[in-house]
Amino acid sequence: MKHAVISCLHANLSAVEAVLGDIDRQGIETITCLGDLVGYGPQPNEVVELIRDREIETCQGCWDEDIIDGLDACDCSYPSQLAERRGHIAHQWTTEKLTYGNKQFLASLPTSIRRGRSFFVHGSPNSQHEYLLPDMDAFAALERVEMSGADTLFCGHTHFPYVRELGNGSIRVNIKNASDREREVKEMTLPIRRIVNVGSVGEPRHGGVNATYVIYDDINSDVEIREVAYDIDRTCKAIIDAGLPHVFAWRLSNGFEFAELAEDASHVCER
Amino acid sequence: MIERWALISGLMGDLETYELIQKDLKNTRGDITLFVLGDVVGPDKNCDALLNRLINPHRDDLKPNCIYGWWEEQLLAELGYRGERKSDALRLNKGDDAVIALINAVDPYYLGWISSLQFGFVELDCGLIHGSSKDVGDILTMQTPPLTLLDRITRLNVNRLFTARSKQQFHLELTDAVVDSKIKDLNEERNQEHTLPKRAVIGIGAGANYTLYDVGSDKTHFLTVSDVTKSRGLGFA
Repeated sequence: MKHAVISCLHANLSAVEAVLGDIDRQGIETITCLGDLVGYGPQPNEVVELIRDREIETCQGCWDEDIIDGLDACDCSYPSQLAERRGHIAHQWTTEKLTYGNKQFLASLPTSIRRGRSFFVHGSPNSQHEYLLPDMDAFAALERVEMSGADTLFCGHTHFPYVRELGNGSIRVNIKNASDREREVKEMTLPIRRIVNVGSVGEPRHGGVNATYVIYDDINSDVEIREVAYDIDRTCKAIIDAGLPHVFAWRLSNGFEFAELAEDASHVCER
Repeated sequence: MIERWALISGLMGDLETYELIQKDLKNTRGDITLFVLGDVVGPDKNCDALLNRLINPHRDDLKPNCIYGWWEEQLLAELGYRGERKSDALRLNKGDDAVIALINAVDPYYLGWISSLQFGFVELDCGLIHGSSKDVGDILTMQTPPLTLLDRITRLNVNRLFTARSKQQFHLELTDAVVDSKIKDLNEERNQEHTLPKRAVIGIGAGANYTLYDVGSDKTHFLTVSDVTKSRGLGFA
């Protein structure tokens, strides 16, 4: 059976509608959402209500968490003070606009979903704020999947879609214990695991302007990264009309991320 | 002169053991740096004398370089030094009595010093931490999965990680690590073989069990203060 996995909707209603339409046209009924329903975009209530109406199983993203608990990410999540200020403006605007009922919904979301040998999170099993980028250390990537107890880890947060398969791994362990005499050598085979980053519906950072998501076939384990065009002008106009920073519209219409990507993506905020 | 690190932990107020270790180290050859990887306080005995000695070393003491451990973390959390967090881990494992005993074991005069201690040291290409780079309470042992150990080492961007939380003494080396990675994105598909240089995790022990590390040769010596004769036999005297 085919499943659709979406993430990082970021209050971009036009993009969400286009992606859900693409999923519907393929007759896919199971959709999983990896959070960040709100933040940056101009239609937070509309997007949350659409996900609620469609009863899409969803886990909580870092923006969803921050809107409920107050800003959780420290300055280190932003590469500059300018980017941080814009992030704070978006946070404050979203907090004011989001209805109490929709905030309650975001607060009720789980931080992870397990389905068979698949595990679904926003950032990583460690944290909603951790970026699993495609080129992160392969052994650390393998550890993240392994700690989830799954074969396949589905995540978002980076806004960059990719599939990473890790296999043919091995390691030798030499142990000297306290007696100084007993030594043990173990050859260990590392597990075969996969990370599927589903990209972003509402704020792509893959170099193009299209929304992205993935379709996963649990029979043959195939993963397809899908690109979907949407009415960008409609979202950009809504961003301007809402009084949000114009750069949010600019980067959507140009198809690349601007300034908001943390320089040290491996950093996990502890605040 | 041989550069050596002496690594101790888990004294939990035991000044007598600390003095024995200091005495042992005075009889050990080399240019020795002393690291105290936390758990200098504990609930079982008054810790003030040991704390005072660490803060005000005797003239012929090796000067201790201290970080905080799990017990200090519990104490600081309970007394409001960690924001809204309390010593939940201690309370859950050992109950309210242990929390009270811990507070009573340390004069408030020393809290400022304890709260100033760092989480860990990075010396050369080595991380010196009570638990791990993930958490002060993280317990790394010889049985911890290699991927977990690699992760804890990688987080610090070091090659060796010295840890105390397990109380065990061991030197575990991870070698010949290899894994293939195939990445597919919207633009391309690429394959890569990843390897790692030798990495190590060293459990330094606790209390009377401590570790000497020869920086130049990457050799560890697991010692016990009651084993003075044995350590002399190994050539440290």
